[in-house]
Amino acid sequence: MSTRLSGNDGFQIVETGQIPSDMILINGLPDVGLVGLLAASHIVRALKLEEVGAITSDLLPPMIVLHGGVPKLPVRIFAGASIAVLLSETAIPTSLLRPLADGLVEWAKSKRIQLMLSLGGMAVANRQDIDAPKVFAALSQKDMERRLKGAAEILEEGYIVGAYGLLLRRCAEESIPAITLLTQSYYNYPDPEAAASSLNAVNKILDLKIDVAELLEKGEEIRLRSKDMMHRTHEEMLRMNKSHEDDLPPLYG
Amino acid sequence: MIWYLSTENRQGSFPAIHGSGWNVAAACIEPLYNMFVAANEVVLTIDLPFVNPKGVRLQCPSADVLEIYAETSKKITFKELGVKHRHGEFTCYHARVRIPVSVNEKRMTSKLKRGVLEVHIPRLG
Repeated sequence: MSTRLSGNDGFQIVETGQIPSDMILINGLPDVGLVGLLAASHIVRALKLEEVGAITSDLLPPMIVLHGGVPKLPVRIFAGASIAVLLSETAIPTSLLRPLADGLVEWAKSKRIQLMLSLGGMAVANRQDIDAPKVFAALSQKDMERRLKGAAEILEEGYIVGAYGLLLRRCAEESIPAITLLTQSYYNYPDPEAAASSLNAVNKILDLKIDVAELLEKGEEIRLRSKDMMHRTHEEMLRMNKSHEDDLPPLYG
Repeated sequence: MIWYLSTENRQGSFPAIHGSGWNVAAACIEPLYNMFVAANEVVLTIDLPFVNPKGVRLQCPSADVLEIYAETSKKITFKELGVKHRHGEFTCYHARVRIPVSVNEKRMTSKLKRGVLEVHIPRLG
């Protein structure tokens, strides 16, 4: 079975398994410090989520990923009883960001999702000196603060560049509850410690008990394994002017 | 004004070791790095997981190049990173970074924390 989304030529969400309605969708796309991807991969393993779908697009690199000798599309959806996770094993090309945001929100709407929770990093210059990376949250609606349960500090001003910025805006337009968690991290070094902090916030928000110890214990191995992915993601971050996030918004009042 | 340079330049001034920086012949890995050129100094950070803190060497072979060599604390193989079809083992990191401004390399300082090396080099003039 597959779902073709209108108005997004070449973009398709292919459903290969049971995807629950009224679910919570967690996005783990490659971004600053690979925080979202590392955290989302850990959620998939910890909750033993099943692969239930994938995204195809002419704008993605012509590639597959082999896992256990089986060819897989690099952008896939995993799900369990009430949680679905979207993650990507390839850097998302800048040209795909708008079709991805539009298509994903349209699909999420058709699935009547309860909450879209996007996980990403926020680059900080002094990351080496931070023991417990802090988590910030951007919300699609102001009145969603109570859903954070104090797990993250509200991001009141600033820019969000890339898929998560577009997703948050589209969710706000469609009245889909959405939270983007941005955790202090290295800019272009994989940051499993930041992913662990992000997951601790997810645990609190969703009442989960995912153990983050493995992310911390295998931190060096994860950093090395993710080096090439980080490098390719960094190339895309440069294309989309990701450093704009460091800028101060000019308006005041 | 701050210049921002990083690993994406590695195919510019110097030929790439390998598409992804794994030099099997030299048993070396090209690390991820970042360079910030500030008003009074150049700050370089290098990501070095599994680094041996006592095996880090920095040198400037010419006025505008910083060379980083760092031993790993253990032998790293593709196999232990989950890749069975490629062979090779790595025992060090190596990178040559072009510095776009004049610096005083004799006053270079560095610190290693959380497996990330941070190098400060004062600018000249």
